Amino acid sequence: MVNKEANWEPRIVAFLCHWCSYAGADLAGISRFQYPPNVRVIRVPCSGSINPIFILKALQRGADGVLVSGCHPGDCHYLAGNLLARRRFLLLKNLLEYMGIEPGRVQFSWVSAAEGQKFAQVIKEVTETVKELGPSVKLVKGGTARGRA
Amino acid sequence: MEELRRVIREMLAGGKVDLVIAYAKGSLPLRSTPVFIRNAEDAECAVFDATCENNLSTYLPRYAGKRLAVVAKGCDARSVQEYLRERQLDPGNVVVIGVPCQGVIGRDRLSRRLSGKEITGAEMDGDTVRVRGDGWEETLQLFEVLHPSCETCEVKEAPGAAIKLGEAAAAQVAEPFALVDDMERLTPDERWAYFTAQFEKCIRCYACRQACPGCYCKECFVDRSAPRWVGGTDDPSDTAIFHIIRALHLAGRCVDCGACVKACPMGVDLRALNKKLERDVRELFGFTAGLEHEGKQVLSTFRADDPNDFIK
Amino acid sequence: MAVKILQKKDLPCLLGKWSQSARVLAPARQDEMTNLAPWEPGAELDLGRNTWKPLKELFFPRSERMFAYTGDRMNAELSPIDQDHEQTVVFGVRPCDARSLALLDRVFLDERFTDDLYKAKRERTVLVGLGCNKPLRSCFCTSVAGDPHGTEGLDVLFVDTGDEYAVYPLTGRGEALVGELPEGSGEVEARASALADLARDMMPRYPAEVLPDKLTHMFEHEIWDRIHEKCLGCAACAYLCPTCHCFDVTDEAKTTEGHRVRNWDSCMFPLFTLHTSGHNPRTSGKQRMRQRIMHKFNYFPVNSGAIACVGCGRCVEVCPVNTDIREVISEIGEVK
Repeated sequence: MVNKEANWEPRIVAFLCHWCSYAGADLAGISRFQYPPNVRVIRVPCSGSINPIFILKALQRGADGVLVSGCHPGDCHYLAGNLLARRRFLLLKNLLEYMGIEPGRVQFSWVSAAEGQKFAQVIKEVTETVKELGPSVKLVKGGTARGRA
Repeated sequence: MEELRRVIREMLAGGKVDLVIAYAKGSLPLRSTPVFIRNAEDAECAVFDATCENNLSTYLPRYAGKRLAVVAKGCDARSVQEYLRERQLDPGNVVVIGVPCQGVIGRDRLSRRLSGKEITGAEMDGDTVRVRGDGWEETLQLFEVLHPSCETCEVKEAPGAAIKLGEAAAAQVAEPFALVDDMERLTPDERWAYFTAQFEKCIRCYACRQACPGCYCKECFVDRSAPRWVGGTDDPSDTAIFHIIRALHLAGRCVDCGACVKACPMGVDLRALNKKLERDVRELFGFTAGLEHEGKQVLSTFRADDPNDFIK
Repeated sequence: MAVKILQKKDLPCLLGKWSQSARVLAPARQDEMTNLAPWEPGAELDLGRNTWKPLKELFFPRSERMFAYTGDRMNAELSPIDQDHEQTVVFGVRPCDARSLALLDRVFLDERFTDDLYKAKRERTVLVGLGCNKPLRSCFCTSVAGDPHGTEGLDVLFVDTGDEYAVYPLTGRGEALVGELPEGSGEVEARASALADLARDMMPRYPAEVLPDKLTHMFEHEIWDRIHEKCLGCAACAYLCPTCHCFDVTDEAKTTEGHRVRNWDSCMFPLFTLHTSGHNPRTSGKQRMRQRIMHKFNYFPVNSGAIACVGCGRCVEVCPVNTDIREVISEIGEVK
């Protein structure tokens, strides 16, 4: 399954919480931390505002990986959005893997506004994992539906 | 059966309720059909046996505000508890008539057992099912053809029942999550192929959703046109998203009554999704749906020590 | 055209011959269901019952691309979708399903608004029927102007007469398929027609013929309050109905390219009638159930000259709450 085509680069959609991870990404930029240019950032008000359907839609429309990043537990601007989200994400992640979606396609992180370094590190790790997995074919619309690439 | 009719008759005659939702004999062998009884004299049509597969609680929110009684198996009564938890019904307005359930017949399983032969006549006698068709006759035991949800049923007594008619059968006969274990033994690609094959069967008639007591949204996400979350084509990815999201919406709310599976005209294996979520919710958050109606829905709350190690 | 005869054991040979110049579809049992499947030599047929899915799917698929487009709103370029042109022979079509196509033709082949996608598929498909000698428990074709050995919509009719089939070529295309078979005797024909009589007698009758007139005056009748009550509002009945033909047209777009598709839709869904304004003229289950019954037994007869039900019994079998159209027919029939 792993696509070793020389020029292939994964496309990763990153949903970042406005209050922390998005600011963390800013800090990474300001601090000139290098990270792979594979992510497309979508800013959201809170990780708790991520409907699992956003994640599935990204995969359906051809994202090779999805990252959701929010505030550390206890730091939520809305007090508990991330903690409510955590339960949903765990069920979603488990369900997708149970159905046969590769572990690593959908990942989660807590990155605070002060963690520019961590943000760069997370993006590096996520990109490496998704690269290793190769292009996403399962759940892609009009794609090789059975996932036998 | 007499007891059931008497209870319904007395409730209506005494003006305790406006409407009793019950089962009546259906038009096909081994089928029952929902019936809406408003007059005491109509109570005679009520039946209960192993053909009463529908979850009648599904109808309750349609009559919210009326004084209702519903004939409920264990699973159906659990759905009522979830309605109460979610404030969809006023507890003072719903009387649950718990019926002694031995499990219901799985029509697909029965058909498989009979190699697809058509049943043109049948009788139930306790645990014995006598079926016949064109030039053949067979006697089966109920446990041989139980619906898969009934096989793994852990709650045969109706929780929250104001009236309990008779004793329910003993506990389940199969390990509740065996199907999830079996699935997990397959490779990821095999699992994906399995689910894709299921989704390819789906014709998007939404019988699963409509039969499900948990699917009471005024507008379902698949019906939204702006934004249109899910395409209406037969692309398996669209169908997959419908079923995955529906399953997630039912996480911690599904009572495995099997209404979706029983309603599906195409034999889509929806329990394979629902049971996984049911197990995860139980193992990760210690919650089982429908046992009572106090407290919050499992995804409307959290604990500080919920699993966190899957997050970077 | 005179009756022909085919020994049963020679059927695979005949199908094999057809398959040299066309794709042959025939009922086969797969995954606990009998449905049409591509036939290959050696394939096992399941001719004991009608297919679970209706024949309409072949001509009016669940989801169909109508055309593709590129560009934007101001400069769109349309291009047709590549159509499958393969000649197709369907074997084992039941008379009810063949009739359903004859009814759908009135919609899709209406000369004022001919549907090209449907038409192309109709034209490249030859329908070889199989008469029903043993109606199933939910069959009621004779109540809705059908017949277990009916020929409407078919090109050839096969009748199982024991060791052989009585084969009736009905059209030129049918003649081309079975013209070389030996002619059958009057005795074979007599046997076939006796079997038809027997099958007709086996089916109970329901008073559907009185519905078209009666329903004209029943729009506000109290019966609708009752009939719809247990309906869950799914579309299992409509999607498996061989004559239900409503669809929804949407665009599947991806930035500057996409295609227009039509998907099955059903009057049982509230969304079916939802206006852009937010107004919905059919908000209740009662109104939707009434629409479905009215369309089949009143509007279609008035507009297209026949009841839009062929008595295949699929809706009876698939309804999750056992709403039985035969009971509905009887109930309406009994209204004074």
